[in-house]
Amino acid sequence: MAQAFTKAMARNIFYGGSLFFFLLLLALTFQTEADFPSRDNRAALEGPKGTQIAEGKRLWEENDCIGCHTLLGEGAYFAPELANVYTRFGNSTDAIKGFIASRPADGIPGRRSMPQFNFNDEELSALAEFLKYVSEIKTARNWPPNIQG
Amino acid sequence: MRYPPGDLAIWIFILAELVVFAAFFAAYAFTRMNNVELFNEFQQQLDQRAALINTLALITSSYFVVRAVSAIREDNRRHCVVWLLAALAMGALFLIVKMGEYQHHFIVEGVSLSTNTFYMFYISLTFFHFMHVIMGMVILAAVVVMAAKGKYSAAEHTGVETGASYWHMVDLLWLIIFPLVYVMR
Amino acid sequence: MKYKSQSVAKLYFIAAIALFVAQILFGLIMGLQYVVGDFLFPTIPFNVARMVHTNTLIIWLLMAFMGAAYYLIPEEAETELFAPWLATLMFWIFLAAAGATVAGYLLFSYSDLAELTMNELLPTMGREFLEQPTITKIGIVVVVLAFLFNIGMTILKGRKTSINLIMLLGLVGLAVFFLFSFYNPVNVVRDKFYWWWVVHLWVEGVWELILGAMLAFVLIKVTGVDREVIEKWLYIVIAMVLITGLIGTGHHFYWIGTPDWWQWWGSIFSAMEPIPFFMMTVFAFNMVHKRRREHPNKVATLWALGTAVMAFLGAGVWGFLHTLSPVNYYTHGTQITAAHGHMAFYGAYVMISLAMISYAMPLLRGRNAANPAKSQVLEMWSFWLMTVSMVFITLFLTGAGILQSYLQRVSDNPMPFMVVQEQINLFYWLREIAGLVFLIGLVLYVASFFVGQNEPEAVVADR
Repeated sequence: MAQAFTKAMARNIFYGGSLFFFLLLLALTFQTEADFPSRDNRAALEGPKGTQIAEGKRLWEENDCIGCHTLLGEGAYFAPELANVYTRFGNSTDAIKGFIASRPADGIPGRRSMPQFNFNDEELSALAEFLKYVSEIKTARNWPPNIQG
Repeated sequence: MRYPPGDLAIWIFILAELVVFAAFFAAYAFTRMNNVELFNEFQQQLDQRAALINTLALITSSYFVVRAVSAIREDNRRHCVVWLLAALAMGALFLIVKMGEYQHHFIVEGVSLSTNTFYMFYISLTFFHFMHVIMGMVILAAVVVMAAKGKYSAAEHTGVETGASYWHMVDLLWLIIFPLVYVMR
Repeated sequence: MKYKSQSVAKLYFIAAIALFVAQILFGLIMGLQYVVGDFLFPTIPFNVARMVHTNTLIIWLLMAFMGAAYYLIPEEAETELFAPWLATLMFWIFLAAAGATVAGYLLFSYSDLAELTMNELLPTMGREFLEQPTITKIGIVVVVLAFLFNIGMTILKGRKTSINLIMLLGLVGLAVFFLFSFYNPVNVVRDKFYWWWVVHLWVEGVWELILGAMLAFVLIKVTGVDREVIEKWLYIVIAMVLITGLIGTGHHFYWIGTPDWWQWWGSIFSAMEPIPFFMMTVFAFNMVHKRRREHPNKVATLWALGTAVMAFLGAGVWGFLHTLSPVNYYTHGTQITAAHGHMAFYGAYVMISLAMISYAMPLLRGRNAANPAKSQVLEMWSFWLMTVSMVFITLFLTGAGILQSYLQRVSDNPMPFMVVQEQINLFYWLREIAGLVFLIGLVLYVASFFVGQNEPEAVVADR
């Protein structure tokens, strides 16, 4: 008999192996969920501040901020990382609000520029609070590596 | 005799598994080097007696599997089934002892992957291996069913060899984990 | 073409190519915006161009996958499609939804689009790659369900080959994991964690089953190698894909607020992810080497081999480059990711789609086996132009990424993001030039469908 290498065995390994590792992924997900409370800054999401942060996240999404910026390293790579913008701007929500509000409507000749979104003060505060909340998420090795993101 | 025994597909798989475990072992050794005190301290918390029982259980089970393969090579289907069942019983013993160990660490002590680096490795390595024991038992059980149905003979018993090869790998991995995690200081 | 109902695939393939062209045009716009920051500002801001670039890519790949399924599943099952009319209907619905969505991106501001499509009822918009309005997402689910029903019934009533089962499994997985796109909690860490259940488990999981099935189908056709041999390898390759790739998801869980132990699990398993790609390369070349016939469709074989090599380079090698957590600490979210993304998507999914189209399209257009030599030569030119320019795009972005990581993160005096961007401007210019060459390749590709159609064709020769 020649060397055995059957399709049936290959198939069994595929189904068995996939199931095995999917179960393992579920187990690790379960453990991840158990670890989340100590890292994901969920306390900030409670109370009136929490409502404001939720509103900020909605604005973040409905203006597609992720289409230019990264947040915790994920997103587009066209504009600065924002997970630590709160600390980069001197732990000041006002500085964030001021920056967003002051973007020129027609851009900056020859350079990249953030659009003018015409947010009102309430919306600006919500966005700034959202970014502050994200900056207080506990990431491994305190990523990003430095203040520049 | 054909070489390697069993289906080549399982050997590709075994090789891949060994690579993954090797990476884990290397990572363990490397991390331990930088945290010797932490590792020594928490190693004391482990139940070496349970681990020793488990080592004996797996070695015995591997021996039983060898007997099962010899039995089928002599066309003795009944003995093949009996030896495989004995191996499965040893596997079950391993799982029970291990669960007792986990019960102590997880429930009584409340340890988790995030407790510290040592426990991260302890749980990762042993739990990943634990799942392999279950997987190996599923494979052996399938072989038992096929053998009981009379699908194997002295002429054709690739399935038995395939299952046996995988089981030996599971055993081999434990023989590395036992000294590495439980004993070595 | 053996079954009449396979012809529905043609619609899907044509739409896929049209969207491919749109994708590249918007890619060039983005590339230019990288160096001429105010280009088209504020008419088409960067984020809009990017949405169109990435979303048309996803849609056209889905179109190509569906077209491939409608072509190969009846042929493998040896029966007509269960409901050809449903496939046609779903095509027009899908195309209309995709067209309306892209038009929405371009005509409205994104926030107006969100309001218009009532995003507040079930907020799912504004996350990378999942920017589609919720209503479009629901549309995708409906289309995919109807599609799965159609091909599922076809498989049930016909021959059940491994290729068909794997294709079906991949497509079912695609539908299942897409459902995570509807989960959008306020908790950013959770949001990101489950976002990867769509993105990673698509491109590094179930999509690779689809890729494997398509590659195996094309290889059986062009090489004439025994089905048993090809399907056996297919199973081993996709087994390794999921064994490494499922826990490999962990390489996205390093820095997003997930626990530290993912650094180990993610690094170890994702480091193994190149293995199945390497096996796929060996497998493809082996099968072509052992071919039993000289199929006249040379260019389909070229694409099939191309995808095996480029998927290994793009997904395997370029993925490995930054998959270990100590490296990723510095490269996460830089142009390194962009470099990897470009070559991996092109190598794995674009090229396999073009391989399938290249094999099936001549048959769908009523030829016996292949396009005439003139057309094939032109298509081969397009293959090399697109592939080589993609290699250069990747190299330039890698250069940019290495410099960016160094200047912004490693060096003793880290520079601000925008300052660094100016330092690496040259790489972006070079990337844009390579992009233009890619466009030329794409134009030749489209042109290859229109030349030499009156010339005679060669026949399949046994070897």
